[in-house]
Amino acid sequence: MTGEVAAQVFTRRARGERWRIRARQLRGILRQFARQRSGVLGVLIIALFTICALVPDLLVGPFESVTRASGEKFDSPSPTHILGTDELGRDVLNLVVHGARISMAIGLMATIITVAIGAVIGIVAGFNGGRLDTILMRITDFFLILPTFVLALVLAPVLRELLGEGSEFFGIRVTLLVIIVVIGITSWASTARIIRSQTLSIRERAYIDRARAIGASSGHIMRRHILPNVLSLIVANTVLVFAGSVLTETTLSFVGLGDQLAPSWGQILAFAQSSGAPGIGAWWYTASPGIAIVLVVLSFTLVGHALDSILNPKLAGRR
Amino acid sequence: MSAEADALARIVRRAGRTLPKLADPSAPLLQVTDLSVRFTLAQGHLTAVDGVSFRLDDGEALGIAGESGCGKTTTALSLLQLLPSNGRIRSGRVELYGIDLAQKSEAALARYRWREISIVFQGAMNALNPVIRVRDQIAEPIVIRLGVSEESARRRALELLDLVGIPTQRGGAYPHELSGGMRQRAMIAMALACNPAIVIGDEPTTALDVMVQAQILALLESLRWELGLSLILITHDLSVIAETCDKVLIMYAGRVAEEGPVSRVFTAPRHPYTQALLRAFPNIRADRRTLDVIPGNLPDLRDPPPGCRFAPRCTFAMDVCRVVTPPEVTMADGVRVACHLYPTPDAAVVEAPPIAQVGADAPDDDVDLSADNSNLRDADDDTPADEVQP
Repeated sequence: MTGEVAAQVFTRRARGERWRIRARQLRGILRQFARQRSGVLGVLIIALFTICALVPDLLVGPFESVTRASGEKFDSPSPTHILGTDELGRDVLNLVVHGARISMAIGLMATIITVAIGAVIGIVAGFNGGRLDTILMRITDFFLILPTFVLALVLAPVLRELLGEGSEFFGIRVTLLVIIVVIGITSWASTARIIRSQTLSIRERAYIDRARAIGASSGHIMRRHILPNVLSLIVANTVLVFAGSVLTETTLSFVGLGDQLAPSWGQILAFAQSSGAPGIGAWWYTASPGIAIVLVVLSFTLVGHALDSILNPKLAGRR
Repeated sequence: MSAEADALARIVRRAGRTLPKLADPSAPLLQVTDLSVRFTLAQGHLTAVDGVSFRLDDGEALGIAGESGCGKTTTALSLLQLLPSNGRIRSGRVELYGIDLAQKSEAALARYRWREISIVFQGAMNALNPVIRVRDQIAEPIVIRLGVSEESARRRALELLDLVGIPTQRGGAYPHELSGGMRQRAMIAMALACNPAIVIGDEPTTALDVMVQAQILALLESLRWELGLSLILITHDLSVIAETCDKVLIMYAGRVAEEGPVSRVFTAPRHPYTQALLRAFPNIRADRRTLDVIPGNLPDLRDPPPGCRFAPRCTFAMDVCRVVTPPEVTMADGVRVACHLYPTPDAAVVEAPPIAQVGADAPDDDVDLSADNSNLRDADDDTPADEVQP
């Protein structure tokens, strides 16, 4: 009995030790990250927009619609409307803050799709090689050259028809789903290429032979030996893909492939353009979502590069 | 020891192990017969191992020596068919407890990998995954092969670390946090994870400094006695074999040149290649400075020369050597040698005069030497040496 208790205490202590080691490593990475000033700046900006995306109502009140517009048409910035109003009299600050949620959500989901497909295809193709590699890479090449807009134009009505106009999937409206799927489909290919090339190098290492000698299955080797080795690459890639996704979403919304009822930043820009805001000098209407987009993309890029220089051993020479 | 007593000892030693179902308790531990391994290249085929036979008994240590590229590692890897994808066993048998592994499919071989035969790879830094804790890497074969839980596998891994002399607290370290010697110990711990019958050491001490090398060899030696292991040690370092092995197999260009007990082969080398290898090795008691090198290179194995493959570099080479492949002859003292100088089991040892005469030390006294070289070269195939007495 006492032995059992002692064993439990031991495992609990071992677990505590494990967490302490893990925490120490995390602290080490954070300390290195803190030294990268641009990366810290990026994190701060992302944090700001994440707060906007999570609790927009607390910051600027509920989303303003046509009936709930709080000001006059095209009011220039003033204390009541810090960023002015749009053609319907809605507060632009209100729109931009609420738009953060949609832009960020689309970016996040498109990134998850991109990285998941890209990492799996990259690792499977790179590790197995041979004919499977050739087939997967030809498919990847096909998606690599696929033009985003044409695909979106074709897919949007098809998906809408298939899924039914106005229906929702996990709380995501079909029109948004189209954008997410289109971004996911067109951007995983480059991720797959990057992961594959790293996998090609790792599968030649002696420890992969050793794992085979042990009798490990291919699945086990890919999961336990290759994945942890390409993880840093995946993380750095994720952050950069996120920035790209936000940008693509903006472009697609701007050319009219977005959801009219969901004011993403691209959608706000599209409204501004169609209402003739640039022509009548309502610069606040176009500049606000524009600057928000630039800031988010820039900050994700900064964080991506900071992470890359920490996690990529080849760039870590300064340490 | 009589054959019966020998078989009995073998059964006793195996009693503690769970043998595969098909195992024959009276068969030798490992019997490799006429093994040939061929690689398919863009320009044709390369036979890296050509008709190699040897036997490993329970608790025995066999050293495989020879210069780079003569098929040592290929021989070892082919036992479990761990060859690169373009390599294949072409013929021959690899019998473990009398079960032929050469015929087994990939899936059927999994039962034997690591549980019966495991490998200590050369270059421990490369054979350990840099992003996985040492403890978890040692636990890996236990989980995969023995199907136990991660938790108990990890506990066993810590026991193994203790066994090879690594403090268990270091189990949570990553490979780069360990010293070279510790990493090699961790590799040995991993090889022992599933309690194998045979451990293959593929140059386990290469790239380690001499002190650590000695520690690793001492560890292998003690583990061998403690756990009743059988060892196959692949190395360039003849002194390592002299120190740790019972038997030695000298390979040249994919073939066995000479095989036998270490005490016999090293004191009275018969094959000219073995003699040359030993002369190319520094002798601590002699005061000479330069070592004899063997002129020339290995033959191109894509298109090997007919006859004896060592003939182009051999000081004794006769006409017959370039035409007829020498058969392997087991000499009266148990040494097997493939050389036309030794056509019968009772042929006397022929020693070459040293090439470089810089204070050559006297050879061992029980060896008949100073054979007349020119006489040998001219000699007929049937009577290669005039010393040969019936």
